[in-house]
Amino acid sequence: MSIALRGIGKQFGEFAAVKDIDLDVPTGALIALLGPSGCGKTTLLRIIAGLDAPDEGQVLFDGRDATLWPIRDRNVGFVFQHYALFRHMSVFENVAFGLKVKPRRERPSSADIRRKVQSLLELVQLDWAGDRYPAQLSGGQRQRVALARALAVDPGVLLLDEPFGALDSQVRHELRRWLRRLHDELHFTSIFVTHDQQEAIEVADTIVVLNRGRIEQCGDPGEVYDLPTSAFVHRFLGQVNELPVQLRDGRAYLGPIDISPAADVRTGDSNNIALIRPHEIEIGAEGTGWPATVIAVRVIGPIVRLELSAQGLPANELLEAEISRERYEAERFGIGQTVGLRFRRWQVYPASGAAA
Amino acid sequence: MAAAEARSDAGRAAPGRLLLIAAALLFLGLFLVLPLLAVFAQALAKGVGAYFIAIADPNAWASVKLTLTVAAIAVPFNLVFGVAAAWAIAKFDFRGKNTLITLIDLPFAVSPVIAGLIFILLFGSHGWFGGYLKVHHIRVVFAVPGIVLATIFVTFPFIARELIPVMQAQGKDDEETALSLGATGWQTFWRVTLPNIRWGLMYGVLLCNARAMGEFGAVSVVSGHIRGLTNTMPLHVEILYNEYNYTAAFAVASLLALLALLTLVGKSFLEWRQPELRHAVAPARDRTRREKT
Repeated sequence: MSIALRGIGKQFGEFAAVKDIDLDVPTGALIALLGPSGCGKTTLLRIIAGLDAPDEGQVLFDGRDATLWPIRDRNVGFVFQHYALFRHMSVFENVAFGLKVKPRRERPSSADIRRKVQSLLELVQLDWAGDRYPAQLSGGQRQRVALARALAVDPGVLLLDEPFGALDSQVRHELRRWLRRLHDELHFTSIFVTHDQQEAIEVADTIVVLNRGRIEQCGDPGEVYDLPTSAFVHRFLGQVNELPVQLRDGRAYLGPIDISPAADVRTGDSNNIALIRPHEIEIGAEGTGWPATVIAVRVIGPIVRLELSAQGLPANELLEAEISRERYEAERFGIGQTVGLRFRRWQVYPASGAAA
Repeated sequence: MAAAEARSDAGRAAPGRLLLIAAALLFLGLFLVLPLLAVFAQALAKGVGAYFIAIADPNAWASVKLTLTVAAIAVPFNLVFGVAAAWAIAKFDFRGKNTLITLIDLPFAVSPVIAGLIFILLFGSHGWFGGYLKVHHIRVVFAVPGIVLATIFVTFPFIARELIPVMQAQGKDDEETALSLGATGWQTFWRVTLPNIRWGLMYGVLLCNARAMGEFGAVSVVSGHIRGLTNTMPLHVEILYNEYNYTAAFAVASLLALLALLTLVGKSFLEWRQPELRHAVAPARDRTRREKT
């Protein structure tokens, strides 16, 4: 099922949760709604599900206006962050719920229900747990039950609200990969909400970045990460260093480094900042670039993170750089050592917009 | 070393624990068990024969029947109202919600005697609706309807008050999930909401029932104390007591106490029959409220 949003807006009292949202979700897509808490992502998901009604705009399911459809007619599967399993029912009964509440004409026979639930439990690798109660399962297992329960009614679209938010990082990683595989096998349309950029990049085909109730950028993960259209998106998807762009004699500088003529520097505007990701900083021997002192070194598995105090910057504004473990082993930058910095890539934004 | 320390810690804690348990048992015995025993002892003071004669008195029986009837009307009424009110308050946002919560608490704040007088004021022969009722030959005050109304008023908050925090703690996720799976509102209520609140509901019903059977003040004002007709058990006990008929008074009182004990036994029996539900309710508490984005 394809979903389209047209000019969706929703107010909670004075607070505009979402404004002017236009979005197309083609059939079979796996989309992430990504943003900080309070950006409107959950509200948007609830509007699609029919749990909240928009104040303005339209929700289209396969081109038909579904804005006023009640949730039970929408054929959506909804998975909550805290699973919302029915505590008084066994795992089997939880998964069978959607089938058992169907009107008698449409309800499958109990043998068919049993078969379907069993196959779903196998799909989520919990076929041994049918008789257990939710309280007896771990968080990851509960979330898989919730997924199986949502899939039982063959939803046209699966909506997941921070589905892995309550799990520890190991289980989260495993479930992400599993969800991605499941999606590739079954090709259902799904939309999930997350505040974790890593999760969005790992799982989704398309990332929709939301900020203050509006869509900041929409694109595939590589595009959103490498070509952010705003400072907000640049900051939100991964770590960044921020440097003021200095204008001297009609040329633009980051510290002593001349970055002009860069097409994206509007030299007339004196309030620009450059955003540089840690892995875009190159560290060389002293004298090869912007002089800087190594303040701290931290080895994090395959990468090494260095904190650097660049000459001319305030002492509390440290730059963060990431280099590969191999390079670090070869160069052995030590604390207190003076090095030279160069930037492989940067992006310049007007400072006023960046403050958003 | 650490283990030995821990053990000696536990040893030091033991006297305090014993003291606490002893204090709890002492108070329990003094204020709950002893009075209960006294009721039965006094009732049987003149022998089992006198006890049964007192109970077999037609007026005593009439009071038992009336008390059970009143409870049988008031409890279901407040059950429906309590669930509806708790549902509305816990699951929806609307204008006037705080006013509604305050109103539900009103019977707790108002003295039962005042509660009774309210109904005299409304339905008594000189009351607001007195003239209309007289013309149509409907008796409310000094009759069973008045007693039922007063009892409903006094027991109004019990079930709603018990359910509101339970329902608020559970949030709306379960209901929303059920709806998204295609359940109707009715199916959602019976299959999801009701099982989730059953223990809170039962406790509320228990309290409501105990109060409905035991209410004295409000009922006393509207009843008119007509023997065999409008005397509930507590009223009948008082009349007998005032007539120095201690054996009969305590015999009826012992019946009232027995009814209360029966409700408690019923509750324990249900809990014992369905042990899996007891632990199934607990996790609701550690659920955090859903982040509103």
